[in-house]
Order: sequence, then structure tokens, then C-alpha cells
Amino acid sequence: MKIIETRELKKTYTLGKVEVNALNGVNALVEEGEFVAIMGPSGSGKSTFLNMVGMLDVPTSGEIYLNGTEITKMEEHARVEYRLRNIGFVFQFFNLFMELTAIENVMFPMMLSGHPFYKERAEELLESVGLKSRINHLPSELSGGEQQRVTIARALANQPKLLLTDEPTANLDTKATHEIMELFRRLNEEKHQTIIMVTHNPELGAKTDRIIHFRDGKVVK
Amino acid sequence: MGLKSDLETALFFAKKDTGKNIRVFALIILAIAFATANIIIINGFMDGFSNSLVDATLDISSGHVNIYPKENDRYIEGLGIKELKLDGMENVAAYSSRLYSSGTLSYNEKTKTIKIVALDPEREQGVTKILEKIEEGEGLTKENEILISYRLAEDLSARAGGEATLVFENGVSKTYRIKGIIRTGATDLDANGVIMYMNEANNALGLSGKASIIMVKLSKRELAEEYRDILKKELEVSKIKVWREEIESITGFMNTVKKITDTVIAVGLFAAAVSVGIIIYVNVIHRRRQIGIMKAIGMKSSLIFTVYLMEALLLAGIGVAAGDALGYIGTKYLETRPFYCPIIKEYISAKFYTYLLYDASIVSTAVVVLAGMYPALMASRTNIIKAIWGT
Ligand SMILES: Nc1ncnc2c1ncn2[C@@H]1O[C@H](COP(=O)(O)OP(=O)(O)OP(=O)(O)O)[C@@H](O)[C@H]1O
Ligand SMILES: [Mg+2]
Repeated sequence: MKIIETRELKKTYTLGKVEVNALNGVNALVEEGEFVAIMGPSGSGKSTFLNMVGMLDVPTSGEIYLNGTEITKMEEHARVEYRLRNIGFVFQFFNLFMELTAIENVMFPMMLSGHPFYKERAEELLESVGLKSRINHLPSELSGGEQQRVTIARALANQPKLLLTDEPTANLDTKATHEIMELFRRLNEEKHQTIIMVTHNPELGAKTDRIIHFRDGKVVK
Repeated sequence: MGLKSDLETALFFAKKDTGKNIRVFALIILAIAFATANIIIINGFMDGFSNSLVDATLDISSGHVNIYPKENDRYIEGLGIKELKLDGMENVAAYSSRLYSSGTLSYNEKTKTIKIVALDPEREQGVTKILEKIEEGEGLTKENEILISYRLAEDLSARAGGEATLVFENGVSKTYRIKGIIRTGATDLDANGVIMYMNEANNALGLSGKASIIMVKLSKRELAEEYRDILKKELEVSKIKVWREEIESITGFMNTVKKITDTVIAVGLFAAAVSVGIIIYVNVIHRRRQIGIMKAIGMKSSLIFTVYLMEALLLAGIGVAAGDALGYIGTKYLETRPFYCPIIKEYISAKFYTYLLYDASIVSTAVVVLAGMYPALMASRTNIIKAIWGT
């Protein structure tokens, strides 16, 4: 089943008098349960694409279907609600709320969605990413890799259909990168979590099911 | 998700945020507390001051209804007949006529201009408390005795028991025994008042049956308005003021003073509000990325607005509570410690009323929350993409 489908997706930024075509007619398809990497040169529109699919921004033209629903014309409050329940994000760095402990960070999306057992579930999630002993630590007391694992646990809190991640390991060392990658693999294999990961690292790309290549705001091949 | 859990979530974050910056927030709370206490204490003073002025007027120089001379006349004529009529009137509990005049008083080598208040002590006691205000010496018993105000006594270095020479405005000069020294609380009287017998003054001035005012005390002061017309008709007088009108000048004066104190209060509040606004503003800027992530995850703009507004509310709540306590203690303390105001040459003391707490709390909270509005709005309008990618 198709979880993402985009048709002629375009995004044009206007910087003063200059127009930048960040996306130039992207037609992409992702099946449910796939682990897909997005690769391509810097400035080719990878992050822009992820933002559109993640409903953080609206395209200039084109259509985006999430689970069969066209989302580009959705009202703001409906987008917020849809994001909360269906999409999990892991950004490159500084994802966590610095004044909240690990468990409070993970509880956050569930407090918003009104999950009845958010505390228990947050504990389980942290345990599943191997941070059982760190639940009451502040982000500043955790390593970069541990912080990213908390972020992943938080992204999974409301059991999203889609996990979107933009260069999640760019700031991590090899060992931590490997651990994060293992975590994604496991989530995908065991929980059939659909994951879309933007990366510059070919090694990581090779570990996914499929790579979508971007160039000049378009999907190549 | 329901409103209750929305508010709970907002409160959770507001608390976390506030707790994190506890030192800065402690200062802000202090500013709010002082601004609030400021309102309470200043208004407590104003009330205490205004009440003591009103009390002084009503106790010292006014009846429930006061009769004055006709327009363009200096004195009330035909005093004897008017007093007879008053004697026979229903609801007239007491009345006292006074003659006001001026002159000078000399004691040893010193001389001062004075204001003469001539009255009949027995009648006066039925209407005012002026003769109970003796600070030193005793009350009037003979026609050759006078009472002088404490400030006059100070100025002349006079003491009770001494003899002073009084020169009336018509040049007649006579020596009197200073029987007592009074302090009434009524500003003009305390400045240079001399109290003497009505007959004595009339004689010295070559008058008879004249008065400057007849103060009438009724069985109930609520009857004042009704008796204004009755007295006008029965006594054939034209100028009458009821007690409420007598204090109008004080109310007017107080309103003028209030404009000044309100400015002082506004400055304090403004300072507190601006600091709250700035702190939350800086906080919002500082957390822009986190706010972006909150929104990306699925926090509604309205909830983000609520978080930061709640932060202001939290600060206001703690600050105002502290300010209320401070204001209460301050006002109560000052109630017991009147201080001398050199401008009005009077002792003034504060007076605490519960309404002061309500008023100050509402005003402070409203101002602080209003100040938090802009940064809260700014936070709620954060652009996710720009916040997260730092552009
Ligand atoms: N907010 C913006 N305003 C203007 N131009 C933008 C904005 N965001 C992206 N762009 C431009 O759009 C193009 C695509 O940017 P995008 O961030 O999607 O690239 P990317 O493939 O993620 O690159 P990288 O690998 O460096 O992260 C770039 O030319 C970029 O400069
Ligand atoms: Mg990018």
C-alpha cells in the first residue's frame, strides 16, 4: 500500500528578486513498511522534500498523498493534528527540550495527544532504545548518540505511520552512527515502521531498502 | 484532547521554563511585588489621609447642616430669632453659632496673625468635638480666657496659663489668659486658630446678634438634605451647605493628589510590566528552535501562546501574592506610625482596607499579563522551518 505519493511537487523560494526552485516537479512513491534513503548533492531539495511530506511547509504546486489523503490544502489546525498523530521527526541536532528530562521529552507528544498511559509508554520507549537507565537525565547529561535515541523514542511516541529523519547521524561518531542505524533497521524489520531518511552517507544508504536520488529539485532515474 | 489537559500541559511547560530561569524570575517577581505593594501602601496612605481630613472637618468645623451669611453679607443677621426657631424645631438635636474674625496675638515679644473662632462652649459641645482637643491646660470657663492652637503656641513660645494680648480687626486690644492649647487635626485651625467666647468677641467687635455660621446637628445625618429646604424656609436664609458638601473640597483636593500618586503607581507598574515583557521575549527568542520543534511535533499555536501567557500569569501570581503581603504589612505598620508631612503641616497615617488588596491584585495581574501578550503571540507565530533550520 502506498503511504506517500507526490505528483509534480514544486517549491519555489523567493529571495529578494531571485527565485530558487528547491523542488522542480517531484514524483515520488513510498510503500508502507519501506525504509527509504534520500540522497543527492547539497541543495538538491532533499530537506525541502522532507518538510513538504512532513507537513511542516506547503508546496508551491503539486499534490501530496499521505495514506491516500491529499494534504496540501489541509487547514492549519488539521495539519497540526495530523502531524501529531501520524508523523515522527528526527532532525539533525538539538532536537530535545533542554529543560526536560529524557522521559519528559518522550512524554511530550503523548501529553499533546492525550495518551492515557503516557508515562508507562515513555518508559517502554526509552527502554526499547536502550536508555532505561537514563530516563531521568537531562539532555545535557547525555551523549549525542543517546540524545538522538531519545529523539527517536519521542518521534515514535504516538505510533506514527511515518518516521522522517534528516541526516540524523551527521553529528555523531562512527559507533553512535552505527547504533542509530541499527535502531532504525530494527524498527523497520520488527515493527514495520516506514522510515524516510535523508543522508549523505552512502554506507547508510546501502543499508536501507531503496534509495531515492535527488538532483536539482528532481528525482533522478 | 480536552481543554483541561491542554491547560495542564501548558502549565507543565510554563513551570518548567520558569523553574529553569529561577534567578532572573526571582528579580522579576520582586519587581512585580514592589509595584503591587506600592499600589497598596500609596492608596492606603491616600485613604488614611483623606479620611482623617474628612473626619477632622466633620468633627471640628461642621454640623450636619451649616447655615452661612447671605450672598454679599459678612454675617448672619438676626441670630436671636433664628436660634429661637431652631430651639422649637423637630429633629434639631443641637446647634452652635460661631463668629469668625481675625486679629493678632502677642505673647512676650512675639506677635502672630490669628484666626478668631468665637463660640459658646456649651452649645459647641453639642455639635462638634473641637473643645475636646485640648493638648495642654484646660477648657474655657470665663470670658477672659482663650484657647490657642498648638502651632500658634509653638510660634509664640506660649504656654497654657500665660497672658497674651489680642488685637481685634477694629483695633480694640485686650489681654486674655491662655487657658489651653488645642490640636484639632483641622489644618486651618491648627495653623493659627484662637478660640474664645462668642459674647466676648461680639462685644470687642462692637457687634450684637451676629454669626458667621450656624452649625446644626440633626437627630440623623441622613436628614440633612431634607432639612436644607426646611431651614431655608423657616429661618429665611439663603446659603446652606450640608455636611457632604463641606467635604467636597477635600474630595477635590484628594483627586488632584491622586493624579500624582497614580503617576507614581503607573511608573512602578510600567517598570514591572516591561521587565516581564522583556524577559519572556528574550526567553522566546532563546528558545526559538525548541518552539519550532514543539510545533513540528504537533503542538497547536494556541497552546504555545498559552504556555508563555501562563508564564506571565505564574510570575504575576507569585509577584502579586508577595506584593499583597508586603503591602499589607507595610500599610499596617504605617497605620501605627503616623508621620509628619511638612507640606500640609499635619501628621498623616495610612489606613488598610481589604479592597486595596483586590484592586492592587487585579491591576498588577492585568498589566503583567498584558505585557506577556506580545512575546506569547510572537512565540505562537514562530515559523517552524525557519526556527528549526535557524534561518
Ligand atoms: N527557506 C529557504 N529560503 C530560500 N531558499 C531556500 C530555503 N530553504 C532551502 N532553500 C534553497 O532550496 C534549495 C534546496 O534546499 P534543501 O535544503 O532542500 O537542500 P538539501 O538537499 O537538503 O541540501 P543539504 O544536503 O545541504 O542539506 C537550496 O538551493 C536552498 O538554498
Ligand atoms: Mg538538507
